[in-house]
Amino acid sequence: MNKLLRTTVALAALALAMPSLAMPAFADDAKPLAGQSITVLLPSGQSPNIASDFEKETGIKVDLQMLSWDDIRPKLITGLIAGTPPADVTEFDWSWTGQFGAAGWYEDLTPLIDAESIKDMPTASIFTVDGKLLGVPYANDFRILIANKDHLAKAGITKMPTTIDELIADAKLVKEKGIAEYPLGVPLSPSEGTSTLWYLMTFAFGGDLFDKDWKPLFTSPDSGGYKALQFYVDMLKAGLIDPASTGLKDSDVHQMFMDGKVTFDLGVGPGWVGAFEDKTKSKIAGSTTLGLVPTVSGKTVSYGLPEALGIPAASEKKEAALAFVKWMTSKDEQIKLAAEQGLLATRTSAFEELNKQGKILDGDVVIEQAGTVGPLFKQGTPTWYPQFSSAVNNAINQAAKGEISVADAVKSIADETAKAQQQ
Amino acid sequence: MSLSAVLPARRSREKGIDGTADALLGLLLAAPIVIAMVALVLFPVASTLWDSLHRVNPMQAGTPFIGLQHYQDLLKDPIVNEAWRNTIIYVVICVTLETAGGIGAALLINQAGRWRRFVLAAVILPWALPGVVNAVVWQWIYNPAFGLLNGLLVAAGLDFEKYVWFNDRTVALFAVSLVHVWRMLPLTAVIVLAALQSIPADLYEAARIDGASRPKMFTNITLPLIRGGVAIAMTQSTVAAFNFFDEAWILTGSSRGTRPILVQVYLEAFQNLHFSYGMALSVLVMFASLAVSLVYVLRVQRVTRLD
Repeated sequence: MNKLLRTTVALAALALAMPSLAMPAFADDAKPLAGQSITVLLPSGQSPNIASDFEKETGIKVDLQMLSWDDIRPKLITGLIAGTPPADVTEFDWSWTGQFGAAGWYEDLTPLIDAESIKDMPTASIFTVDGKLLGVPYANDFRILIANKDHLAKAGITKMPTTIDELIADAKLVKEKGIAEYPLGVPLSPSEGTSTLWYLMTFAFGGDLFDKDWKPLFTSPDSGGYKALQFYVDMLKAGLIDPASTGLKDSDVHQMFMDGKVTFDLGVGPGWVGAFEDKTKSKIAGSTTLGLVPTVSGKTVSYGLPEALGIPAASEKKEAALAFVKWMTSKDEQIKLAAEQGLLATRTSAFEELNKQGKILDGDVVIEQAGTVGPLFKQGTPTWYPQFSSAVNNAINQAAKGEISVADAVKSIADETAKAQQQ
Repeated sequence: MSLSAVLPARRSREKGIDGTADALLGLLLAAPIVIAMVALVLFPVASTLWDSLHRVNPMQAGTPFIGLQHYQDLLKDPIVNEAWRNTIIYVVICVTLETAGGIGAALLINQAGRWRRFVLAAVILPWALPGVVNAVVWQWIYNPAFGLLNGLLVAAGLDFEKYVWFNDRTVALFAVSLVHVWRMLPLTAVIVLAALQSIPADLYEAARIDGASRPKMFTNITLPLIRGGVAIAMTQSTVAAFNFFDEAWILTGSSRGTRPILVQVYLEAFQNLHFSYGMALSVLVMFASLAVSLVYVLRVQRVTRLD
């Protein structure tokens, strides 16, 4: 009797257990990681549907954490140095590549992402250190010129400026006609946006930042970097740039553009067009127009500042994390994210598809500018980049305030760069 | 041994008057704070000190012992020296204004009679605000285009149309300090107020009978008797000014002209990833803060003994 009872109970238990054992084997062939959960850390402003859409497709639960862009890095670093990353998939900015690559904090994704995908994402090279792909680009960004076409029309300007001289002439015209008090939107606070715009202006003035041996190319008065900084000082004196810009980050300048206070937003990428054209956020929706970055020679130039998804080497759920990275950077998802949150696709195929559908404002201009995009540093982002950037934006800030001369500012950048390179 | 000699001793042990029982109880009661201090203060301090003698940089392999190298480099670092200069300016401005303003506010509150508690509640509000919130409020006040300050000055007929407060280094250092003073002054006022209220009214009564004027009473009675409280208030003001971060970071970011030493520590550790260099700098900040505070503490001890 006892034996019979034991057998019955065992069979009943097995029968009860069977469905749960069998379920993943039968139903989840397409969802082999269903039931797992991962944490994803991204900058604020992501589509609220990301977690639910991914779970629907893969069965993997996502705890999507969002922080302001500036707060992500300190959170990441404290976690990574302690060997306990705050998430299984994290934001990975282009400017962190040198430091994070040297620290070995991130998984090499080269063998995990198919070559076809990498080929479809030209900016992937920016996240590659010593042949290791540390992040898969999900948000494209490069510099372009954005203007308020109503301001231009009121001033009688019929085409976007293509040279620096034309830009200055247009800005003067807008100011003279009282359309905008300070037509040129330029961030001059000690912040990253100030540095990134100066890099662009250095290229626009026909210069470069470093030679192949990392020697500065911006210290002589006839160099692009020197002229770019002199341009800021001259424009401040001419009243074309707001003196209060010394306290403005790039996002503050974008807000001024959305408020209709500046005519030209110089330090911006096409990814902002969505916000500029959103009537709930912008007072100038419908007035945005895009142009190629003006240069001294008239031949446009730009560089990329993409953002990627990386998997910390200490993550314990790498498989599920990889599934998320692949999903979010897939062509379909890139097209969807472009529509939902205005992200600029990192896949060439997605970009072309969106343009074909007419979903990119001034798509031809954007595509033409995209064709000129190169890496900021040909040798890859150096480990001392944050010190260099900090030296740049502080020197610009001081020169803009009149605390130091342009010559002293570029010298201070060069001196601090040399010190950073030695450390 | 006689019974009478043994009994009182046993009784005293039972009642806990005996030294051993008292000591045990004392140790037991002190244990939580001792454990907390060791775990949360002494161990991190010792660990930071030790690490500052090594090269801790995640971008470089290993953590070799380098002795006092970081400390030598810090002394020669012009950016660090500039941050030190800014910090000393902050300390001087903040401690002076907080002490003078705190004593003034405490004297006024002390005269408020039955309304004292309400006035005190209103005065203490800025101190209750987090530093970041305080800084954001003042960021709006200082805004060149639509800030309250420029608005008031322009309304008063002064030429402050779109004046940018942080474009001049001297003005910026003072403007940033003022934000910190606005938040920390109430604490000084409360400490001094407590000292004021401990002064017996008879002393003033006697002075009045002797024909002493109000300024005389202040310098000969009030000031000497609140010295202890003022010294404590100055200690906390000094430590808070050395630890100045939130307001400077929100108002002027990493701007070199207004960068306090703690922002430099943050940049070294979390921007440049030179952890042990940042640690060495934080150790120096701790010693500087302790040294200045020690002057006050010794003074308090002396003054208290005199009191």
